[in-house]
Amino acid sequence: MFFLRVCLMSFRSLFVHPLRTILATLGVIFGVAAVVAAMAILEGMSSRILGGFESLGSNKIFVMPNIERRSGRMVGSFDSLDLDDADAIGRCNAVARAMPQISNPGALVKFRSKSTNADVSGVTEVHADMNNQEMQDGEFISAANVQGSASVVVLGSKIKEELFGGRPAIDEKIKITGIRGSRTFTVIGVFAPKGNVGRSDADRQICVPITTAMDKLYGTDSVHVILAEARSPTDADIDQAKEEIAQTLRRRHKIRAGQQDDFQVQSQKDMVTQFSQVTGILKVVFYSIAGISLFVGGIGIMNIMLVAVTERTREIGVRMAMGAQRSDVLKQFLIEASVVSFFGGTIGVIVGWGLANAIETVTRLFETTTTMTSVVIALTMATTTGVISGIYPAWKASRLDPVEALRYE
Amino acid sequence: MSLIQLDKLMKHYPMGDTMVRALDGVDLSIKSGEFVSITGHSGSGKSTLMHLLGCLDRPTSGRYMLDGQLVSHLSDRSLAQVRNRKIGFVFQTFNLIQRTSAIDNVAVPLFYGRQSNVGEKSRKALERVGLGPRATHKPSELSGGERQRVAIARAIVNEPKIILADEPTGNLDTRTGKQIMDIFHELHRAGVTVILVTHEMDVAVQAERVIRMRDGNIIDDRRVDDSTRSELLSGVMLPAVEQDPGPDRSPPPIAKPVGM
Ligand SMILES: Nc1ncnc2c1ncn2[C@@H]1O[C@H](COP(=O)(O)OP(=O)(O)OP(=O)(O)O)[C@@H](O)[C@H]1O
Ligand SMILES: [Mg+2]
Repeated sequence: MFFLRVCLMSFRSLFVHPLRTILATLGVIFGVAAVVAAMAILEGMSSRILGGFESLGSNKIFVMPNIERRSGRMVGSFDSLDLDDADAIGRCNAVARAMPQISNPGALVKFRSKSTNADVSGVTEVHADMNNQEMQDGEFISAANVQGSASVVVLGSKIKEELFGGRPAIDEKIKITGIRGSRTFTVIGVFAPKGNVGRSDADRQICVPITTAMDKLYGTDSVHVILAEARSPTDADIDQAKEEIAQTLRRRHKIRAGQQDDFQVQSQKDMVTQFSQVTGILKVVFYSIAGISLFVGGIGIMNIMLVAVTERTREIGVRMAMGAQRSDVLKQFLIEASVVSFFGGTIGVIVGWGLANAIETVTRLFETTTTMTSVVIALTMATTTGVISGIYPAWKASRLDPVEALRYE
Repeated sequence: MSLIQLDKLMKHYPMGDTMVRALDGVDLSIKSGEFVSITGHSGSGKSTLMHLLGCLDRPTSGRYMLDGQLVSHLSDRSLAQVRNRKIGFVFQTFNLIQRTSAIDNVAVPLFYGRQSNVGEKSRKALERVGLGPRATHKPSELSGGERQRVAIARAIVNEPKIILADEPTGNLDTRTGKQIMDIFHELHRAGVTVILVTHEMDVAVQAERVIRMRDGNIIDDRRVDDSTRSELLSGVMLPAVEQDPGPDRSPPPIAKPVGM
């Protein structure tokens, strides 16, 4: 009862000097906004990227050319992997199956007068199964298609919709523009809608046999990535597969001991670990900003509370004359300090939420998610800041001598 | 038995090398239900006495028995409890809390006494001073007299035994001052002990008993009847007291340094 009444009283006193309250709580507002925005962004990034990884299944191993970014330039061999490497990896004992892939985002595709941009993937017959993609219509690329470099294509549901609308697409001819110019492909299947996988929209993907993509569209002998699966998702099996893949490729590429590999082998778990390191750094940055803001905010709160104690010296004297205990005065100012911070925290939550949404709208990289947990954590931090910064002013108020406080002009 | 019993009460303030003897050995006894006024020149120690009577402060030396309890050496906590339960303060400058309504001001002592039924008790107190209809007004929306009535409602809401009023009419015009005095008379009739500090003699003589102070001492203490009233009002110094300072009373020095 006492607590509630003091809260109410403190809440009212916030609006006696609204501008002053806002200015004093600026630090808390920023601190809380940083916490809320950071958590929303990190949450969004994690569920987007990790969610994508998880939908692939965690026995995946990625084999890529070893490309590094050195002082702004990409260094290394882009074309170190080829179809024979993929076959060799597929034959490894620890590997269940392997698939070479090349991907080209944003290729122009045309059906009669309609055209759109699609992400072209050159794949083998195992692709649909490896990526858990269901067919809505027709069939997926067959082994024979791959062997014979057939000009056939399977469309993502959005691309099918954009080119054909409601009409059936199977057996229609579409044109795909690659580096070697425009080629005609026969539609043999349409994927069921799937949504996002990793960073790309699976429904904007179109798949052609990898051999066709290499010969007819892009004129290349190398592949972008070889996707392999270990026999099981256990760490032991994955590590064994990675090791066997590396040895196989070193042998095939004639890389001597001590020499730099021209490829890299990463399991999905490695990638998740790398990603966690990135988000870990982001977390440290965000939370440092939040921490500093809250510290500054605490000083702001302490300052406004010291002003309040001085301004209300006489009132404190009156309250003591009416029977307020020193502990009552102490509690009152502590509660007021936390109410002020809580108020700043609430504004901070709104600002942080707005900030996260603004970042989402501007960058379009991921959906931000402001969780209840982050709001509760942020408000708890704000209130704690308030209590801590209120201690000294409240103690000062409670130590006032009633007679002197009453005489105070 | 008396409600208030002071024995050689002293209050000294250090001022540089010297001591200000704000109270210099006051003996006083006030019975329950009395209406007493205290007068004297500025600096004579009236407010200091009020603060001690009101348990806001502890004496430098001497004893203070209040309602059968020795309060001169109580802890801060106990003093706050005594103030809350037994004493109601009325100040010259009203001392209302500006941010809150009249009724919330009145509720303050109930709040610190952790009492229940706060709303009803506060409303009753406000009605008792004739301010029921103004309950939700802020002090800034009230006249001086109305503010002082709110302050009186606040002083009586806990039904204390004693009302201590330091110059309650000092900031009010004569007519409004009279209304305030009427309320004190009413409280007195209801059995409350009223102690009133004033330097206006025509206000002081409305009490049953007038105490005059000078330099931290009581120099005159008498019941008010028709003859003393005119003596007091005429402003003639009463030689009787100065000739007979009483058994315990030391001569009144003016802020004389004491060794320390
Ligand atoms: N905190 C203090 N420190 C030093 N001296 C003080 C203090 N409080 C009061 N005094 C001195 O004690 C004496 C009595 O003061 P007090 O306030 O009791 O006078 P008063 O009779 O109420 O005067 P007034 O009619 O002007 O209110 C004065 O000389 C005053 O200066
Ligand atoms: Mg005074």
